[in-house]
Amino acid sequence: MTDLLDRPPGGLPYPGGDGDDLELMLMIRAFEYKLLDLFAAGMLNGTTHTCLGQEHVPVALSPLMDPRDHVFSNHRGHGHYLARYRDPHGLLAEIMGREGAVCGGVGGSQHIHRDRYMSTGVQGESLPVAAGVALHLSRAEPGAAAWAYIGDGTFGEGAVYEALNIAALWRLPVVVVVENNGIAQSTPTSAHLAGTIAGRAAAFGVPHLAIGSTDPAEIRDIVAGPLGHVRAGRGPLVLEFRTHRLGPHSKGDDTRDEQALREARAGDWYHRYAAADPAGLARVESEQRAYVAAVADEVAARPPSTGRAACG
Amino acid sequence: MITMAQALNAALGDAMAEDEQVVVFGEDVGALGGVFRITDGLTAKYGEDRCFDTPLAESGIVGFAVGMAMGGFRPVVEMQFDAFAYPAFEQIASHVAKTRNRTRGRVGLPLVIRIPYGGGIGGVEHHCDSSEAYYAHTPGLKVVTPATVQDAYSLLREAIDDPDPVVFMEPKKLYWSKADIGRLARTEPFGRAAVRRAGSDATLIAYGPSVPVALETAEAATQEGWDLEVIDLRTIVPFDDATVTASVRRTGRCVVVGEAAGFAGVGAEIAARVQERCFHSLAAPVLRVTGFDVPYPPPMLEHHHLPSVDRILDTLDRLQRDDLPDTRFLALGGAA
Ligand SMILES: Cc1ncc(C[n+]2csc(CCOP(=O)(O)OP(=O)(O)O)c2C)c(N)n1
Ligand SMILES: [Mg+2]
Repeated sequence: MTDLLDRPPGGLPYPGGDGDDLELMLMIRAFEYKLLDLFAAGMLNGTTHTCLGQEHVPVALSPLMDPRDHVFSNHRGHGHYLARYRDPHGLLAEIMGREGAVCGGVGGSQHIHRDRYMSTGVQGESLPVAAGVALHLSRAEPGAAAWAYIGDGTFGEGAVYEALNIAALWRLPVVVVVENNGIAQSTPTSAHLAGTIAGRAAAFGVPHLAIGSTDPAEIRDIVAGPLGHVRAGRGPLVLEFRTHRLGPHSKGDDTRDEQALREARAGDWYHRYAAADPAGLARVESEQRAYVAAVADEVAARPPSTGRAACG
Repeated sequence: MITMAQALNAALGDAMAEDEQVVVFGEDVGALGGVFRITDGLTAKYGEDRCFDTPLAESGIVGFAVGMAMGGFRPVVEMQFDAFAYPAFEQIASHVAKTRNRTRGRVGLPLVIRIPYGGGIGGVEHHCDSSEAYYAHTPGLKVVTPATVQDAYSLLREAIDDPDPVVFMEPKKLYWSKADIGRLARTEPFGRAAVRRAGSDATLIAYGPSVPVALETAEAATQEGWDLEVIDLRTIVPFDDATVTASVRRTGRCVVVGEAAGFAGVGAEIAARVQERCFHSLAAPVLRVTGFDVPYPPPMLEHHHLPSVDRILDTLDRLQRDDLPDTRFLALGGAA
């Protein structure tokens, strides 16, 4: 049930073109930095997990998602939402508890629901749910898929394997998107994961792609073929992205040493654009920052949410 | 001055120093020292064999603790937040709670499951649950929750020494509460509630995060002529019927305060026990001030949800102050 009437008029429309990956990546990045600023200014509550360094993953994948597809996101999900809906107003209003919030301010940063998109901050638990949705899709809307974003650390949870087993056994259209940033909160992957994610997918006979590219167009080329198999009913797929977490886990809780931080920053997709077209990058970046700053001013000035959801 | 978080940290450290079978583990408890820094410095001091990080695997963590306890360790595990203990519930309900009974008393599990719980920190839904009723409803578990800095130390030491499993619920809102304590010491054992304020007109029963609210209410209520007694349960299981009953029989009125949803909660059990034991002394129904029967609300609404001084004062108004129950009851030939 879309109830856009709840939203005050005059929300700034998203300025980026529909197809412009860089604009979207920089909008997401500006959004995340804005959140950290708002926290520092005491304007936000609780906690938040930014996707700084991982923006390219949902930006690459969202155009591959059919409107009938379900998406299950996790605690680090702002980019997942923004890439699918280009709706920084609704998300920021949700996080700030303002009028026009996607979920009436009840969900906050980690529990977003809109149409066929849902996130939860409880790790691993959405995978079996995605498999269940996928079973329904396979019967009711063949060709549609359920996507679930998870981190490397989440491979510690048993629910992940119950879901992989069932999804593989029953050939369900599930795409597991792993954002492997090499760390879970403060625990490096080497200290929390035996073997490899590829090996775990293999154990269930599930195809696995390791993706190091940060170029959205290239990523789409890599994924398109295997995704076709999922949509054709041949079973699940695991896409493992090598990513880098540029910021703290949530706020001010980074335990990594300088060397590890340097490595994370070196892996940022940003450098590729900076090398190719520094002036162009700077222009788009300042545009997106200005846009997000205006969104934040506008949303902060809205009255508190009345609990009515802006989107279904 | 010392905070509750520091007192808990000291309890873990002192227990580890005294008994090398005490081991601490969980998600991010090592280098990070836990999200609330309760395990801060333990790895550095006692080594990675004694305080270590695990993968994200709550069910595994608790099951692992069961096995370790069977082998002779005294594991103390941390669940990062209240709602993240739910994946471990199967182990807790099926194994932690039942092993003693299932082995006809032969196998005890001296383990502690530490769970930061409750709201009041502007957190999200799964960071603010009051999950004590799930554990209290499961025979075989002790359920303990400190309200003071001193008790945080003492009860955690007690929990680690206990020969059976203890769910140790830490009111996260009080982690930063401070007390001026010279030396942290052991105080009363499990099963003894504390009368935090003596009074004669009505009894407020609270535990964990609600105790300071109850005390604040008692002060505010003096303006309205109420002299309230405040009881801090300290341990929900075992429950101190004796202290509670003696108080309510004397005051004749009782309000139970707790953050958890009221329906089928610990407060309901307390109200039931009070009326079963104090019926003939009661001048008014036993009332409850609880969280509402909804999932934990977003930060901007939590002050409505949590029991507040105002809500407790409003509830006191419904206790029919003018009634003089005991005399009236005696006049009718009662024997209270
Ligand atoms: C069941 C559960 N246990 C613990 C947590 C607390 N927690 C939140 S994020 C996180 C680390 C997740 O690591 P990973 O899956 O690698 O994702 P990342 O944060 O790196 O994106 C932890 C332990 C949780 N959200 N859910
Ligand atoms: Mg990770």
